[in-house]
Amino acid sequence: MRSLLNFLLRYQNIIILLLLEAAAFYLLANSTSYHNAKITNSLRGCETAMQEKVANFVEYFKLREINNTLSEENTRLRNTLERTYSNSEISFFAVNDSVQRQQYVYTQAYVVNQSLTKQKNFFTLNKGTSHGIDEGMAVVGPDGIAGVIVGVDKNFSVAMSLLNLDFRLSARFRKNGYFGSLNWKGLDRSLLSFDEIPHHLIVNIGDTIETSGFSALFPAGLMVGCVSGFDDKDGDFYNIDVKLATDFHNLNYIYIIGNLKRYEQVTLEESIEEIK
Amino acid sequence: MITGIIKNTGLFIFLLLLQILLMDNIEFSGYVNPYIYLLFIILLPVEIPAWLLLILSFFTGLSVDLFNGTPGMHASATTFAGFVRPYILRILAPRDGYDTGVLPVPGAYGWRWFLVYVILIVTIHHFALFYIEVFRLAYFFSTLLRVLLSSLFSIGFILIIQLLIVKR
Repeated sequence: MRSLLNFLLRYQNIIILLLLEAAAFYLLANSTSYHNAKITNSLRGCETAMQEKVANFVEYFKLREINNTLSEENTRLRNTLERTYSNSEISFFAVNDSVQRQQYVYTQAYVVNQSLTKQKNFFTLNKGTSHGIDEGMAVVGPDGIAGVIVGVDKNFSVAMSLLNLDFRLSARFRKNGYFGSLNWKGLDRSLLSFDEIPHHLIVNIGDTIETSGFSALFPAGLMVGCVSGFDDKDGDFYNIDVKLATDFHNLNYIYIIGNLKRYEQVTLEESIEEIK
Repeated sequence: MITGIIKNTGLFIFLLLLQILLMDNIEFSGYVNPYIYLLFIILLPVEIPAWLLLILSFFTGLSVDLFNGTPGMHASATTFAGFVRPYILRILAPRDGYDTGVLPVPGAYGWRWFLVYVILIVTIHHFALFYIEVFRLAYFFSTLLRVLLSSLFSIGFILIIQLLIVKR
């Protein structure tokens, strides 16, 4: 007994160190991929409120830029309006049943807090469950995709940014529809890497990469970015660098996209998994 | 003793606010983030019991974690830094040992001594922190680069803050 006590006294520091490290790693391991963004968000409720004030203030100085991006986006949208195209269907009266066909709902929100310098970046948005936001919804900026909602609170939600080592997304070439997997390699905040494209495909610098719509998160055909460089040195696949369309330094107003038919798709896919 | 506790509590709150409100929003060239809250651990008295140092380190890290949304990450790195601090102090000890009740500040053993002490403790802390953050070996060298760059900036900021505290 005495020697046990002596032992404990002698190595008390290492024992305390191991206990505290165990506690820290327990927290780290149990906070899943997005480090318990949800809990933290409710914990720092006052901080979020303060950040919203700060964001409001900073936003004022960015108004000119924000106006520019919005008007550019408006122009782009006006160009896709039906009335800008001449109607070729003259012989039939087309019934446009928007209730049945609508699959995605857009909600406008803005970024109140954002981390950029970490390897696992997240940003906080000013809409939450009370606005119908749920986990798994997609976030797009005016120029292209930005992230996925991973945690929701009553009035705020936290999204995992594209600039997160844990982020994976299925994407494709706009020109031929070949798809691969998109992820961030860390360090450079304007480059994503696009994998799983075999060597026999012809890749050009400037090719547009868009979302493939396979994941039931993002609608198909949303802008991701352009190929800025590639090499075919190792393995069977290209190493492709994609220059992001979204500028995370200037991400203010964003849209959250809810997929009305996501539940349907996911449950169907899961039921097929069970059969397999 | 009591004044020491009050002073240190004040320093803790000051550094935590500075870290959360200012430093976490600073970004140099994309992947550099200074962590100055470590100055609290650096400035604790030399003779503080090792177990108290460990526990204080853990809770310092944990409070930064709570505001950063990274439970456990800073806590584990800072606890490790608190663990190695006595060993660093032993290596850097002057020939006739530390005086009783001395603080590890530049005023006691000079700026060169303080600089070496800060460099050692900050680099070890950042090593632990960044490798825990990435938690995979695939990005070994890019993480190493981030460790070195961030350490450089953290050390710079810590020295500046130390200068300001001394002036005051």
